[in-house]
Amino acid sequence: MADALVSPAIAAGTGAIAATLIAVAASKVKQIRRDDIIPLMGVMGAFVFAAQMINFSIPGTGSSGHIIGGVLLSAVLGPWAAFITLCSVLIIQCLVFADGGLLALGCNILNMAATSCLIAYPLIYRPISGTSLKPWRITAASIAASIIALEIGAAGVTLETELSGITALPTSTFLAFMLPIHLAIGAIEGVATAAVLCFLAKYRPETLYSDYTADESSCTGRFASGSGRLRPVLIGFAIATLIFAGAFTWLASANPDGLEWSIEKVSGISDMPSATPATAFMPDYDSRFAGIVGAIIVMVMLWAITTIIFHRVRNAHQNSSTKGKE
Amino acid sequence: MKPAERSHIGDIDPRALLLVTVVYLVAMLSVPLQRTDMIIWFAAYPIISAPLAHIAYERLFRNSLFVLPLLVFIGIFNPIYDRTPAFALFGITINSGWISFISIIIRGLLATQALLLLIRVSGFNEMCEALHRLGCPGAIATQLLMVYRYLSVLLEEALTMQHARQARSYGKNSFKASLWGPFVGQLLLRTIERSRRINMAMKARGFNGTLSTSPNMHWTTADTVYCLVWIPVFFSLRFIDVSALLLTLFAYC
Repeated sequence: MADALVSPAIAAGTGAIAATLIAVAASKVKQIRRDDIIPLMGVMGAFVFAAQMINFSIPGTGSSGHIIGGVLLSAVLGPWAAFITLCSVLIIQCLVFADGGLLALGCNILNMAATSCLIAYPLIYRPISGTSLKPWRITAASIAASIIALEIGAAGVTLETELSGITALPTSTFLAFMLPIHLAIGAIEGVATAAVLCFLAKYRPETLYSDYTADESSCTGRFASGSGRLRPVLIGFAIATLIFAGAFTWLASANPDGLEWSIEKVSGISDMPSATPATAFMPDYDSRFAGIVGAIIVMVMLWAITTIIFHRVRNAHQNSSTKGKE
Repeated sequence: MKPAERSHIGDIDPRALLLVTVVYLVAMLSVPLQRTDMIIWFAAYPIISAPLAHIAYERLFRNSLFVLPLLVFIGIFNPIYDRTPAFALFGITINSGWISFISIIIRGLLATQALLLLIRVSGFNEMCEALHRLGCPGAIATQLLMVYRYLSVLLEEALTMQHARQARSYGKNSFKASLWGPFVGQLLLRTIERSRRINMAMKARGFNGTLSTSPNMHWTTADTVYCLVWIPVFFSLRFIDVSALLLTLFAYC
């Protein structure tokens, strides 16, 4: 999400929720009894940060995507430490590369970090993988959790953009665009996550997160003790959600009543607006257009003036430094 | 990222810069999409501030263009769906959708420019300290610095592995798909091992889990003045129709 796609109200709301989650996560991380948690969080954050820089193309769509890394982080660090780590990655992307936007940070934290670390990992990954280190279970859990995280995140982007009143695109059509693309990205992320986790499980299984490394009073400890009866329900929920997501995506793609219909409508002459006479020159809205033109002219003048001053100051600075050297 | 060279606003406290940037974003993004004329006036902030930070505005503008594809992707549907006529220009009816599309592009570019300006002027370490002093939990402030520092460790290990692989691959540049998992897993393990050694060395030197960044950060009168100059300007641009005001003035003249 970029700043331009959110209204201040949505930014404030999501920012408040994200800040609360960060505060909770920070207190949970303090309870973790693991000596190497600080360097591990740093390294994993750097790893995911580097991985997010790699964009891969999605066949057949003409678009590209990058992994989020929340499931991978959660499987190594646990959900709360992973959440803090992923938040830090998103903040660095925002503050170092201006990628994502400052006001949209709350939206991005909810769409990417909260969905993957606090929803997909405990509800999808853990019930499927359990404490087993079998490659097929890790692979199934990684793919399912990554797809669910991406799909929920994509739905979040759609909802936030719609609530901000930025796009005129109907919600269903917007979802029909977002969900299939993110289904593909989720599947690729799931495979990549599984490849790394299977390697770690084979050669260094102690690197992977275990509930017993956290404080027993934390929520992850309770989740582990109750997972015996809960697991079939959660596996069922995961499968149902996957089927629902897949079916919804298929339906959305198969019924293009949104965009294609609209493009057809746009190209039709009968639907062109006829409220304004074709010969009129700005009959009712000329002041608005004049305002735009005026604002542009002033900004260009401002830019020209500041550029001239900037170059003069720089030249004067260079001249003075040259004289100083002589 | 290094802070901007010593400039007029290079000495401003990062908290003041952050506050001004947030107010700027809130003020600009709260302007209705149909008021493109009001949004354009907000370009004054990056246009004036960039030279003050010794950055050419053209460069800042070019750097902000990377966000354009996303803005176009989201905004391009507005002309298709919102076809309410806004005004006619040389006999061509312009829809509201086009107005909002242009607004999305402009505000997206301006928001990115403001953020780039903030990053360039303040620097990453100072920004982390500012976030910590503004109430951000210590865990996340430390984590930010850790990720930033361990990135170079990760890249070093990746380069070492890449060189080792090239040395024994006899000119083959491509990787088999099946090798990616072990390569990335091995990279992760090597970096984790090295980070543990670094952590032990840091602990031996008194590291207690908190990284100090810039203890000499003080709020000065210049920072207050900087805020008091820009924030009222942003509020004025948000609530006063400057274009209409100027048109009225021209009409009188």
